[in-house]
Amino acid sequence: MAGSERLSPLQRFYLLALAALILGPFLPLIIQSFAFRWDWPNLLPSEWWLTARERARLPLGWDYVLSPYSRVWEATLNTLGIGLGATALSLVLCLPAARVLARRRFAGKAGFELFLALPLLLPEMAIGIPLLLIYIRLGLAGSHLGIVIAHLIPTIPYMIRMLTAVYQGLDRQLEEQARVLGASGWQVFRLITLPLLLPGVVAGCLFTFLVSTNVFLLTFLLGQGRILTLPTLLFSKIGGGQLDATAAGLALLMSVPGLMLLLFFERFVRQEALVAGQGD
Amino acid sequence: MEQARLDWGAILALAPVTLVLGLLFCGALGLAIGQSLGFAPWYGINTFPDFSHFARLWSAPAFWAGLGLTLYYGVVSTLMALVLGVGLALALRKSFAGRRLFDHVYKLPLMIPYGVAIALAVLLLGNGGIASRLLAWVGVISDPAQFPRLINTHAGWGIMAVYVWKQTPFITLAVAAVLAGMGRQTQEAAAVLGAGRVRIFWEITLPQILPGLVSAALICLAFNLGAFEAPFILGGGYPDTLPVMAWRAFNDADYGRQLEGTAIALSIALVAGALLLLSLMAYRALERRHGRV
Repeated sequence: MAGSERLSPLQRFYLLALAALILGPFLPLIIQSFAFRWDWPNLLPSEWWLTARERARLPLGWDYVLSPYSRVWEATLNTLGIGLGATALSLVLCLPAARVLARRRFAGKAGFELFLALPLLLPEMAIGIPLLLIYIRLGLAGSHLGIVIAHLIPTIPYMIRMLTAVYQGLDRQLEEQARVLGASGWQVFRLITLPLLLPGVVAGCLFTFLVSTNVFLLTFLLGQGRILTLPTLLFSKIGGGQLDATAAGLALLMSVPGLMLLLFFERFVRQEALVAGQGD
Repeated sequence: MEQARLDWGAILALAPVTLVLGLLFCGALGLAIGQSLGFAPWYGINTFPDFSHFARLWSAPAFWAGLGLTLYYGVVSTLMALVLGVGLALALRKSFAGRRLFDHVYKLPLMIPYGVAIALAVLLLGNGGIASRLLAWVGVISDPAQFPRLINTHAGWGIMAVYVWKQTPFITLAVAAVLAGMGRQTQEAAAVLGAGRVRIFWEITLPQILPGLVSAALICLAFNLGAFEAPFILGGGYPDTLPVMAWRAFNDADYGRQLEGTAIALSIALVAGALLLLSLMAYRALERRHGRV
Protein backbone atom coordinates (compact mmCIF):
# COMPACT_ATOMS: atom_id res chain seq x y z
CA MET A 1 0.00 0.00 0.00
CA ALA A 2 1.24 3.46 -0.84
CA GLY A 3 2.31 5.60 2.07
CA SER A 4 2.93 2.74 4.48
CA GLU A 5 6.69 2.70 4.04
CA ARG A 6 8.83 4.33 6.72
CA LEU A 7 11.25 7.20 6.16
CA SER A 8 14.90 6.29 5.95
CA PRO A 9 17.18 8.03 8.50
CA LEU A 10 18.60 10.19 5.70
CA GLN A 11 15.11 11.27 4.63
CA ARG A 12 14.16 12.04 8.22
CA PHE A 13 17.24 14.27 8.51
CA TYR A 14 16.41 15.89 5.16
CA LEU A 15 12.86 16.76 6.18
CA LEU A 16 14.02 18.19 9.50
CA ALA A 17 16.71 20.25 7.77
CA LEU A 18 14.18 21.62 5.27
CA ALA A 19 11.70 22.53 7.99
CA ALA A 20 14.52 24.32 9.85
CA LEU A 21 15.62 26.19 6.71
CA ILE A 22 12.04 27.24 5.92
CA LEU A 23 10.91 28.29 9.40
CA GLY A 24 14.26 29.19 10.99
CA PRO A 25 14.84 32.48 9.14
CA PHE A 26 11.57 33.90 10.47
CA LEU A 27 12.85 33.87 14.06
CA PRO A 28 15.54 36.54 13.49
CA LEU A 29 13.03 38.45 11.34
CA ILE A 30 10.63 38.62 14.28
CA ILE A 31 13.46 39.59 16.65
CA GLN A 32 14.66 42.27 14.22
CA SER A 33 11.18 43.77 14.02
CA PHE A 34 11.28 44.37 17.81
CA ALA A 35 14.90 45.49 17.93
CA PHE A 36 16.24 49.02 18.34
CA ARG A 37 19.99 48.42 18.59
CA TRP A 38 21.43 45.07 17.57
CA ASP A 39 25.24 45.20 17.37
CA TRP A 40 27.48 42.52 15.93
CA PRO A 41 28.16 39.82 17.22
CA ASN A 42 25.24 39.77 19.71
CA LEU A 43 22.63 37.10 19.10
CA LEU A 44 19.98 39.29 20.72
CA PRO A 45 19.43 43.07 20.45
CA SER A 46 21.11 45.22 23.09
CA GLU A 47 18.14 47.59 23.14
CA TRP A 48 14.55 46.79 22.26
CA TRP A 49 11.96 48.93 20.53
CA LEU A 50 9.77 49.10 23.66
CA THR A 51 12.43 50.83 25.75
CA ALA A 52 13.53 53.13 22.93
CA ARG A 53 10.10 54.31 21.80
CA GLU A 54 9.60 56.58 24.82
CA ARG A 55 12.45 58.92 23.95
CA ALA A 56 12.07 58.72 20.17
CA ARG A 57 10.39 61.62 18.40
CA LEU A 58 9.43 59.61 15.32
CA PRO A 59 7.40 56.40 15.41
CA LEU A 60 9.76 53.40 15.56
CA GLY A 61 9.38 49.80 14.45
CA TRP A 62 5.87 48.49 14.87
CA ASP A 63 4.62 51.99 15.80
CA TYR A 64 5.53 53.03 12.27
CA VAL A 65 4.24 49.88 10.59
CA LEU A 66 0.86 50.08 12.33
CA SER A 67 0.50 53.87 12.27
CA PRO A 68 -2.53 55.08 10.26
CA TYR A 69 -0.37 57.93 8.96
CA SER A 70 2.52 55.85 7.58
CA ARG A 71 2.81 54.84 3.96
CA VAL A 72 2.19 51.22 5.01
CA TRP A 73 -1.52 51.99 5.23
CA GLU A 74 -1.62 53.49 1.73
CA ALA A 75 0.37 50.54 0.37
CA THR A 76 -1.94 48.03 2.07
CA LEU A 77 -5.06 49.67 0.64
CA ASN A 78 -3.53 49.78 -2.84
CA THR A 79 -2.41 46.14 -2.61
CA LEU A 80 -5.86 44.97 -1.52
CA GLY A 81 -7.71 47.11 -4.07
CA ILE A 82 -5.52 46.04 -6.97
CA GLY A 83 -5.75 42.41 -5.83
CA LEU A 84 -9.55 42.56 -5.70
CA GLY A 85 -9.78 44.27 -9.09
CA ALA A 86 -7.39 41.86 -10.79
CA THR A 87 -9.13 38.83 -9.23
CA ALA A 88 -12.60 39.98 -10.28
CA LEU A 89 -11.50 40.81 -13.81
CA SER A 90 -9.55 37.57 -14.09
CA LEU A 91 -12.60 35.58 -12.91
CA VAL A 92 -14.91 37.22 -15.45
CA LEU A 93 -12.45 36.55 -18.27
CA CYS A 94 -11.57 32.99 -17.27
CA LEU A 95 -14.87 31.46 -16.14
CA PRO A 96 -16.47 31.04 -19.59
CA ALA A 97 -13.18 29.93 -21.13
CA ALA A 98 -12.58 27.36 -18.38
CA ARG A 99 -16.01 25.82 -19.03
CA VAL A 100 -15.14 25.26 -22.69
CA LEU A 101 -11.63 24.01 -21.89
CA ALA A 102 -12.98 21.48 -19.40
CA ARG A 103 -15.73 20.10 -21.62
CA ARG A 104 -14.65 20.36 -25.22
CA ARG A 105 -11.97 18.77 -27.28
CA PHE A 106 -10.99 20.85 -30.30
CA ALA A 107 -8.24 21.23 -32.85
CA GLY A 108 -5.33 23.30 -31.51
CA LYS A 109 -6.40 22.89 -27.89
CA ALA A 110 -2.90 22.02 -26.66
CA GLY A 111 -1.50 25.08 -28.41
CA PHE A 112 -4.22 27.26 -26.92
CA GLU A 113 -3.45 25.98 -23.43
CA LEU A 114 0.23 26.72 -24.00
CA PHE A 115 -0.74 30.26 -25.02
CA LEU A 116 -2.65 30.68 -21.75
CA ALA A 117 0.41 29.44 -19.82
CA LEU A 118 2.74 31.78 -21.73
CA PRO A 119 2.88 34.43 -18.96
CA LEU A 120 4.63 31.85 -16.79
CA LEU A 121 7.14 30.96 -19.49
CA LEU A 122 8.10 34.48 -20.55
CA PRO A 123 10.51 36.28 -18.19
CA GLU A 124 8.85 39.14 -16.35
CA MET A 125 11.34 41.80 -17.38
CA ALA A 126 10.99 40.77 -21.04
CA ILE A 127 7.28 41.56 -20.96
CA GLY A 128 7.46 44.38 -18.40
CA ILE A 129 9.50 46.85 -20.43
CA PRO A 130 7.56 46.33 -23.70
CA LEU A 131 4.36 46.76 -21.72
CA LEU A 132 5.70 49.97 -20.23
CA LEU A 133 6.21 51.33 -23.76
CA ILE A 134 2.52 50.76 -24.54
CA TYR A 135 1.41 52.12 -21.17
CA ILE A 136 3.34 55.33 -21.71
CA ARG A 137 1.71 55.75 -25.15
CA LEU A 138 -1.78 55.02 -23.80
CA GLY A 139 -1.34 57.09 -20.64
CA LEU A 140 -1.91 54.01 -18.46
CA ALA A 141 1.49 54.18 -16.75
CA GLY A 142 1.14 55.13 -13.10
CA SER A 143 -2.64 54.55 -13.01
CA HIS A 144 -4.48 52.06 -10.83
CA LEU A 145 -6.44 50.76 -13.81
CA GLY A 146 -3.19 50.08 -15.67
CA ILE A 147 -1.77 48.10 -12.75
CA VAL A 148 -4.96 46.04 -12.41
CA ILE A 149 -4.80 45.17 -16.12
CA ALA A 150 -1.10 44.32 -15.86
CA HIS A 151 -1.78 41.99 -12.93
CA LEU A 152 -3.96 39.92 -15.27
CA ILE A 153 -0.77 38.63 -16.87
CA PRO A 154 0.53 36.62 -13.89
CA THR A 155 -2.95 35.77 -12.54
CA ILE A 156 -4.73 34.43 -15.65
CA PRO A 157 -2.63 31.23 -15.97
CA TYR A 158 -3.45 30.21 -12.39
CA MET A 159 -7.09 31.26 -12.52
CA ILE A 160 -7.77 29.43 -15.78
CA ARG A 161 -6.22 26.20 -14.54
CA MET A 162 -7.99 26.23 -11.20
CA LEU A 163 -11.36 26.96 -12.81
CA THR A 164 -10.83 24.31 -15.51
CA ALA A 165 -10.12 21.78 -12.75
CA VAL A 166 -13.31 22.87 -11.00
CA TYR A 167 -15.41 22.35 -14.13
CA GLN A 168 -13.74 19.00 -14.78
CA GLY A 169 -14.75 17.85 -11.29
CA LEU A 170 -18.36 18.86 -11.83
CA ASP A 171 -20.77 15.96 -12.28
CA ARG A 172 -22.69 16.86 -15.43
CA GLN A 173 -25.35 14.23 -14.82
CA LEU A 174 -26.83 16.36 -12.05
CA GLU A 175 -27.34 19.21 -14.53
CA GLU A 176 -28.88 16.85 -17.08
CA GLN A 177 -31.21 15.30 -14.54
CA ALA A 178 -32.45 18.73 -13.52
CA ARG A 179 -33.07 19.60 -17.15
CA VAL A 180 -34.93 16.33 -17.74
CA LEU A 181 -37.07 17.13 -14.73
CA GLY A 182 -38.07 20.39 -16.40
CA ALA A 183 -35.71 23.01 -14.96
CA SER A 184 -34.94 25.98 -17.18
CA GLY A 185 -31.36 26.85 -18.17
CA TRP A 186 -31.21 29.63 -15.58
CA GLN A 187 -32.66 27.40 -12.88
CA VAL A 188 -30.07 24.72 -13.61
CA PHE A 189 -27.27 27.27 -13.33
CA ARG A 190 -28.62 28.90 -10.16
CA LEU A 191 -29.68 25.76 -8.29
CA ILE A 192 -27.22 23.12 -9.49
CA THR A 193 -24.13 24.47 -11.26
CA LEU A 194 -23.40 27.50 -9.10
CA PRO A 195 -23.56 25.78 -5.68
CA LEU A 196 -21.38 22.95 -6.98
CA LEU A 197 -18.84 25.34 -8.49
CA LEU A 198 -18.70 27.82 -5.65
CA PRO A 199 -16.04 26.22 -3.37
CA GLY A 200 -13.66 25.82 -6.30
CA VAL A 201 -14.31 29.32 -7.58
CA VAL A 202 -13.67 30.78 -4.12
CA ALA A 203 -10.41 28.82 -3.90
CA GLY A 204 -9.35 30.04 -7.32
CA CYS A 205 -10.11 33.63 -6.36
CA LEU A 206 -8.21 33.39 -3.08
CA PHE A 207 -5.13 32.01 -4.78
CA THR A 208 -5.32 34.54 -7.61
CA PHE A 209 -5.65 37.31 -5.04
CA LEU A 210 -2.49 36.03 -3.32
CA VAL A 211 -0.60 35.94 -6.62
CA SER A 212 -1.61 39.54 -7.29
CA THR A 213 -0.64 40.80 -3.82
CA ASN A 214 2.82 39.23 -4.28
CA VAL A 215 3.54 40.86 -7.67
CA PHE A 216 6.44 43.30 -7.52
CA LEU A 217 8.07 43.96 -10.87
CA LEU A 218 5.02 44.83 -12.99
CA THR A 219 3.73 47.25 -10.34
CA PHE A 220 7.18 48.75 -9.91
CA LEU A 221 7.79 49.22 -13.65
CA LEU A 222 4.33 50.27 -14.77
CA GLY A 223 3.42 52.24 -11.65
CA GLN A 224 6.28 54.65 -12.39
CA GLY A 225 6.72 55.25 -8.67
CA ARG A 226 3.17 56.57 -8.34
CA ILE A 227 1.48 53.35 -7.23
CA LEU A 228 2.71 52.21 -3.85
CA THR A 229 1.96 48.58 -2.91
CA LEU A 230 3.40 46.47 -0.11
CA PRO A 231 5.98 44.75 -2.38
CA THR A 232 7.18 48.08 -3.84
CA LEU A 233 7.31 49.65 -0.35
CA LEU A 234 9.41 46.75 0.94
CA PHE A 235 11.69 47.11 -2.08
CA SER A 236 12.24 50.80 -1.35
CA LYS A 237 13.17 49.87 2.24
CA ILE A 238 15.58 46.99 1.53
CA GLY A 239 16.83 48.17 -1.87
CA GLY A 240 20.00 49.47 -0.25
CA GLY A 241 20.79 46.06 1.22
CA GLN A 242 19.90 46.99 4.81
CA LEU A 243 17.02 45.69 6.90
CA ASP A 244 15.81 47.82 9.81
CA ALA A 245 13.02 47.13 12.29
CA THR A 246 10.36 48.76 10.11
CA ALA A 247 11.36 46.70 7.08
CA ALA A 248 11.29 43.55 9.21
CA GLY A 249 7.81 44.44 10.48
CA LEU A 250 6.66 45.12 6.95
CA ALA A 251 8.05 41.79 5.73
CA LEU A 252 6.17 40.00 8.51
CA LEU A 253 2.98 41.88 7.64
CA MET A 254 3.39 40.80 4.01
CA SER A 255 3.72 37.15 5.03
CA VAL A 256 0.28 37.17 6.67
CA PRO A 257 -1.96 36.66 3.58
CA GLY A 258 0.05 33.65 2.38
CA LEU A 259 0.13 32.18 5.87
CA MET A 260 -3.63 32.61 6.25
CA LEU A 261 -4.28 30.98 2.90
CA LEU A 262 -2.02 28.08 3.89
CA LEU A 263 -3.62 27.60 7.32
CA PHE A 264 -7.29 28.02 6.51
CA PHE A 265 -7.73 27.29 2.84
CA GLU A 266 -5.00 24.78 2.07
CA ARG A 267 -7.49 22.03 1.32
CA PHE A 268 -9.17 24.23 -1.29
CA VAL A 269 -5.98 24.92 -3.19
CA ARG A 270 -5.75 22.17 -5.74
CA GLN A 271 -2.21 20.99 -6.18
CA GLU A 272 -2.50 20.21 -9.84
CA ALA A 273 -3.66 23.73 -10.60
CA LEU A 274 -0.57 25.26 -9.03
CA VAL A 275 1.49 23.57 -11.63
CA ALA A 276 0.30 25.21 -14.79
CA GLY A 277 1.06 23.88 -18.26
CA GLN A 278 1.61 20.29 -17.28
CA GLY A 279 0.75 18.96 -20.70
CA ASP A 280 -2.39 17.01 -19.93
CA MET B 1 -15.65 15.65 -24.30
CA GLU B 2 -17.86 16.58 -27.19
CA GLN B 3 -17.46 17.67 -30.78
CA ALA B 4 -14.17 18.59 -32.44
CA ARG B 5 -15.51 21.80 -34.00
CA LEU B 6 -16.34 24.74 -31.81
CA ASP B 7 -19.68 26.50 -32.15
CA TRP B 8 -20.04 30.26 -31.86
CA GLY B 9 -20.97 30.05 -28.19
CA ALA B 10 -17.72 28.31 -27.33
CA ILE B 11 -15.67 30.71 -29.45
CA LEU B 12 -17.37 33.62 -27.73
CA ALA B 13 -16.49 32.10 -24.36
CA LEU B 14 -12.81 31.73 -25.28
CA ALA B 15 -12.55 35.14 -26.93
CA PRO B 16 -12.24 37.57 -23.96
CA VAL B 17 -9.26 35.92 -22.26
CA THR B 18 -7.60 35.33 -25.64
CA LEU B 19 -8.03 38.95 -26.67
CA VAL B 20 -6.74 40.39 -23.41
CA LEU B 21 -3.63 38.19 -23.26
CA GLY B 22 -3.08 38.52 -27.01
CA LEU B 23 -3.31 42.31 -27.00
CA LEU B 24 -1.07 42.64 -23.96
CA PHE B 25 1.52 40.23 -25.35
CA CYS B 26 1.50 40.91 -29.07
CA GLY B 27 0.96 44.65 -28.67
CA ALA B 28 3.77 44.97 -26.16
CA LEU B 29 6.24 42.77 -28.02
CA GLY B 30 5.39 44.35 -31.39
CA LEU B 31 5.94 47.86 -30.12
CA ALA B 32 9.13 46.76 -28.36
CA ILE B 33 10.52 45.18 -31.52
CA GLY B 34 9.66 48.32 -33.50
CA GLN B 35 11.26 50.61 -30.95
CA SER B 36 14.43 48.56 -30.56
CA LEU B 37 14.79 48.69 -34.37
CA GLY B 38 14.75 52.49 -34.29
CA PHE B 39 11.02 53.31 -34.53
CA ALA B 40 10.46 55.88 -31.78
CA PRO B 41 8.93 58.97 -33.40
CA TRP B 42 7.66 60.17 -30.00
CA TYR B 43 11.29 60.83 -29.03
CA GLY B 44 12.00 62.30 -32.45
CA ILE B 45 13.79 59.13 -33.52
CA ASN B 46 12.74 57.17 -36.59
CA THR B 47 15.47 55.20 -38.28
CA PHE B 48 13.47 51.99 -38.82
CA PRO B 49 14.72 49.39 -39.65
CA ASP B 50 17.95 49.98 -37.82
CA PHE B 51 19.81 47.03 -36.35
CA SER B 52 22.57 49.17 -34.89
CA HIS B 53 21.11 49.08 -31.35
CA PHE B 54 21.24 45.31 -31.30
CA ALA B 55 24.65 45.30 -33.01
CA ARG B 56 26.07 47.75 -30.45
CA LEU B 57 24.50 45.86 -27.56
CA TRP B 58 25.64 42.43 -28.71
CA SER B 59 29.19 43.59 -29.38
CA ALA B 60 29.60 44.99 -25.84
CA PRO B 61 31.52 42.65 -23.48
CA ALA B 62 29.31 43.82 -20.55
CA PHE B 63 26.25 42.35 -22.32
CA TRP B 64 27.87 38.92 -22.56
CA ALA B 65 29.10 39.12 -18.98
CA GLY B 66 25.56 40.00 -17.91
CA LEU B 67 24.10 37.19 -19.98
CA GLY B 68 26.59 34.76 -18.43
CA LEU B 69 25.62 35.82 -14.91
CA THR B 70 21.89 35.67 -15.71
CA LEU B 71 22.22 32.14 -17.09
CA TYR B 72 24.51 31.04 -14.25
CA TYR B 73 22.14 32.18 -11.48
CA GLY B 74 19.07 30.95 -13.37
CA VAL B 75 20.27 27.52 -14.45
CA VAL B 76 22.22 26.55 -11.32
CA SER B 77 19.38 27.49 -8.96
CA THR B 78 16.80 25.70 -11.11
CA LEU B 79 18.92 22.52 -11.04
CA MET B 80 19.38 22.77 -7.27
CA ALA B 81 15.63 23.26 -6.76
CA LEU B 82 15.00 20.26 -9.03
CA VAL B 83 17.21 17.93 -6.97
CA LEU B 84 15.94 19.20 -3.61
CA GLY B 85 12.31 19.24 -4.77
CA VAL B 86 12.34 15.70 -6.17
CA GLY B 87 14.05 14.43 -3.01
CA LEU B 88 11.30 16.03 -0.94
CA ALA B 89 8.50 14.64 -3.14
CA LEU B 90 9.92 11.12 -2.82
CA ALA B 91 10.12 11.44 0.97
CA LEU B 92 6.54 12.73 1.08
CA ARG B 93 5.25 9.42 -0.35
CA LYS B 94 5.95 7.82 3.00
CA SER B 95 3.94 8.17 6.15
CA PHE B 96 5.49 9.76 9.23
CA ALA B 97 4.49 11.50 12.43
CA GLY B 98 3.71 15.18 11.90
CA ARG B 99 2.86 14.65 8.27
CA ARG B 100 -0.06 17.10 8.22
CA LEU B 101 1.99 19.83 9.86
CA PHE B 102 4.89 19.29 7.50
CA ASP B 103 2.55 19.52 4.49
CA HIS B 104 1.80 23.08 5.59
CA VAL B 105 5.39 23.98 6.45
CA TYR B 106 6.99 23.00 3.18
CA LYS B 107 4.53 25.04 1.09
CA LEU B 108 5.18 28.22 3.07
CA PRO B 109 7.92 29.65 0.75
CA LEU B 110 5.52 29.33 -2.18
CA MET B 111 3.04 31.65 -0.49
CA ILE B 112 5.56 34.28 0.62
CA PRO B 113 6.46 37.21 -1.69
CA TYR B 114 9.96 37.23 -3.19
CA GLY B 115 10.64 40.51 -1.38
CA VAL B 116 10.24 38.79 1.98
CA ALA B 117 12.59 35.99 0.90
CA ILE B 118 15.13 38.65 -0.09
CA ALA B 119 14.69 40.39 3.25
CA LEU B 120 15.43 37.07 4.97
CA ALA B 121 18.57 36.64 2.86
CA VAL B 122 19.78 40.15 3.78
CA LEU B 123 19.17 39.44 7.46
CA LEU B 124 20.79 36.02 7.46
CA LEU B 125 23.58 36.05 4.92
CA GLY B 126 25.00 39.58 5.09
CA ASN B 127 28.41 40.17 6.61
CA GLY B 128 26.81 41.44 9.82
CA GLY B 129 23.97 38.94 9.52
CA ILE B 130 22.77 36.09 11.68
CA ALA B 131 24.97 33.47 10.02
CA SER B 132 28.11 35.47 10.72
CA ARG B 133 26.98 36.10 14.32
CA LEU B 134 26.48 32.36 14.81
CA LEU B 135 29.99 31.70 13.48
CA ALA B 136 31.35 34.34 15.86
CA TRP B 137 29.39 32.76 18.72
CA VAL B 138 31.05 29.39 18.15
CA GLY B 139 34.37 31.18 17.78
CA VAL B 140 35.16 30.58 14.12
CA ILE B 141 35.43 34.29 13.23
CA SER B 142 36.09 37.37 15.35
CA ASP B 143 35.23 40.12 12.88
CA PRO B 144 32.36 40.56 10.38
CA ALA B 145 34.93 41.10 7.61
CA GLN B 146 36.12 37.50 8.06
CA PHE B 147 32.71 36.19 7.05
CA PRO B 148 32.69 34.99 3.43
CA ARG B 149 30.78 37.28 1.08
CA LEU B 150 27.50 35.58 0.26
CA ILE B 151 25.53 38.61 -0.91
CA ASN B 152 26.67 41.50 -3.10
CA THR B 153 29.08 39.21 -4.88
CA HIS B 154 29.05 37.92 -8.44
CA ALA B 155 29.20 34.37 -7.09
CA GLY B 156 25.52 35.04 -6.31
CA TRP B 157 25.04 32.70 -3.31
CA GLY B 158 22.35 34.95 -1.84
CA ILE B 159 20.46 35.29 -5.13
CA MET B 160 20.47 31.56 -5.74
CA ALA B 161 19.52 30.84 -2.11
CA VAL B 162 16.39 32.99 -2.58
CA TYR B 163 15.44 31.25 -5.85
CA VAL B 164 16.01 27.76 -4.42
CA TRP B 165 14.16 28.56 -1.18
CA LYS B 166 11.15 29.85 -3.10
CA GLN B 167 11.07 27.25 -5.89
CA THR B 168 11.84 23.91 -4.22
CA PRO B 169 8.23 23.56 -2.96
CA PHE B 170 6.95 24.40 -6.44
CA ILE B 171 8.94 21.53 -7.95
CA THR B 172 7.81 19.25 -5.13
CA LEU B 173 4.13 20.06 -5.73
CA ALA B 174 4.50 19.37 -9.44
CA VAL B 175 6.12 15.99 -8.79
CA ALA B 176 3.94 15.02 -5.81
CA ALA B 177 0.76 15.52 -7.86
CA VAL B 178 2.05 13.05 -10.48
CA LEU B 179 3.41 10.60 -7.91
CA ALA B 180 0.09 10.54 -6.05
CA GLY B 181 -1.80 9.73 -9.23
CA MET B 182 0.40 7.00 -10.60
CA GLY B 183 0.23 4.20 -8.02
CA ARG B 184 3.16 2.00 -7.20
CA GLN B 185 2.45 -1.31 -8.91
CA THR B 186 5.20 -0.97 -11.53
CA GLN B 187 7.75 -0.05 -8.88
CA GLU B 188 6.72 -2.92 -6.65
CA ALA B 189 6.89 -5.32 -9.56
CA ALA B 190 10.39 -4.09 -10.35
CA ALA B 191 11.40 -4.47 -6.71
CA VAL B 192 10.04 -8.03 -6.62
CA LEU B 193 12.06 -8.79 -9.75
CA GLY B 194 15.18 -7.66 -7.92
CA ALA B 195 15.75 -4.08 -9.09
CA GLY B 196 17.56 -1.87 -6.58
CA ARG B 197 16.19 1.40 -5.30
CA VAL B 198 18.47 3.55 -7.48
CA ARG B 199 17.56 1.58 -10.58
CA ILE B 200 13.84 1.81 -9.82
CA PHE B 201 14.17 5.59 -9.52
CA TRP B 202 16.07 6.05 -12.79
CA GLU B 203 14.16 3.56 -14.89
CA ILE B 204 10.61 3.71 -13.53
CA THR B 205 9.89 6.70 -11.35
CA LEU B 206 11.86 9.37 -13.23
CA PRO B 207 10.37 8.68 -16.68
CA GLN B 208 6.90 8.96 -15.16
CA ILE B 209 7.48 12.26 -13.38
CA LEU B 210 9.57 13.73 -16.22
CA PRO B 211 6.81 15.68 -18.05
CA GLY B 212 5.72 17.46 -14.87
CA LEU B 213 9.34 17.99 -13.88
CA VAL B 214 10.27 19.56 -17.23
CA SER B 215 7.37 22.02 -17.24
CA ALA B 216 7.89 23.03 -13.60
CA ALA B 217 11.63 23.51 -14.21
CA LEU B 218 10.96 25.63 -17.30
CA ILE B 219 8.60 27.89 -15.34
CA CYS B 220 11.26 28.35 -12.63
CA LEU B 221 13.98 28.98 -15.22
CA ALA B 222 11.90 31.56 -17.08
CA PHE B 223 11.23 33.35 -13.83
CA ASN B 224 14.88 33.33 -12.79
CA LEU B 225 16.04 34.69 -16.15
CA GLY B 226 13.66 37.66 -15.90
CA ALA B 227 13.90 38.35 -12.17
CA PHE B 228 14.93 41.85 -11.16
CA GLU B 229 14.51 42.20 -7.41
CA ALA B 230 16.92 39.55 -6.13
CA PRO B 231 19.90 40.39 -8.40
CA PHE B 232 19.33 44.12 -7.87
CA ILE B 233 19.42 43.90 -4.07
CA LEU B 234 21.70 40.89 -3.55
CA GLY B 235 23.86 41.10 -6.69
CA GLY B 236 27.47 42.16 -7.03
CA GLY B 237 26.99 45.33 -9.10
CA TYR B 238 28.50 45.94 -12.55
CA PRO B 239 28.31 43.81 -14.67
CA ASP B 240 24.65 43.28 -13.73
CA THR B 241 22.28 40.54 -14.83
CA LEU B 242 20.33 41.36 -17.98
CA PRO B 243 17.07 42.39 -16.26
CA VAL B 244 18.93 44.81 -13.97
CA MET B 245 20.90 46.10 -16.95
CA ALA B 246 17.66 46.62 -18.90
CA TRP B 247 16.08 48.54 -16.05
CA ARG B 248 19.13 50.77 -15.56
CA ALA B 249 19.25 51.59 -19.27
CA PHE B 250 15.52 52.21 -19.42
CA ASN B 251 15.53 54.49 -16.37
CA ASP B 252 18.54 56.49 -17.52
CA ALA B 253 18.07 60.25 -17.61
CA ASP B 254 19.06 60.02 -21.27
CA TYR B 255 15.85 59.02 -23.09
CA GLY B 256 17.87 57.64 -25.99
CA ARG B 257 18.98 54.78 -23.75
CA GLN B 258 15.39 53.53 -23.57
CA LEU B 259 16.01 51.92 -26.94
CA GLU B 260 18.95 50.05 -25.47
CA GLY B 261 16.84 48.98 -22.49
CA THR B 262 14.16 47.68 -24.84
CA ALA B 263 16.78 45.80 -26.85
CA ILE B 264 18.06 44.14 -23.66
CA ALA B 265 14.52 43.18 -22.63
CA LEU B 266 13.99 41.60 -26.05
CA SER B 267 17.33 39.80 -25.76
CA ILE B 268 16.06 38.24 -22.51
CA ALA B 269 12.94 37.09 -24.35
CA LEU B 270 15.09 35.64 -27.14
CA VAL B 271 17.34 33.76 -24.72
CA ALA B 272 14.37 32.45 -22.73
CA GLY B 273 12.56 31.42 -25.92
CA ALA B 274 15.66 29.64 -27.26
CA LEU B 275 16.21 27.79 -23.97
CA LEU B 276 12.54 26.80 -23.88
CA LEU B 277 12.68 25.44 -27.42
CA LEU B 278 15.95 23.59 -26.79
CA SER B 279 14.61 21.92 -23.65
CA LEU B 280 11.39 20.92 -25.37
CA MET B 281 13.35 19.47 -28.30
CA ALA B 282 15.68 17.59 -25.96
CA TYR B 283 12.66 16.28 -24.07
CA ARG B 284 10.97 15.14 -27.29
CA ALA B 285 14.16 13.41 -28.43
CA LEU B 286 14.37 11.61 -25.09
CA GLU B 287 10.75 10.50 -25.34
CA ARG B 288 11.33 9.22 -28.84
CA ARG B 289 14.38 7.26 -27.72
CA HIS B 290 12.22 5.57 -25.13
CA GLY B 291 9.69 4.90 -27.87
CA ARG B 292 6.93 6.82 -26.17
CA VAL B 293 5.96 9.22 -28.94
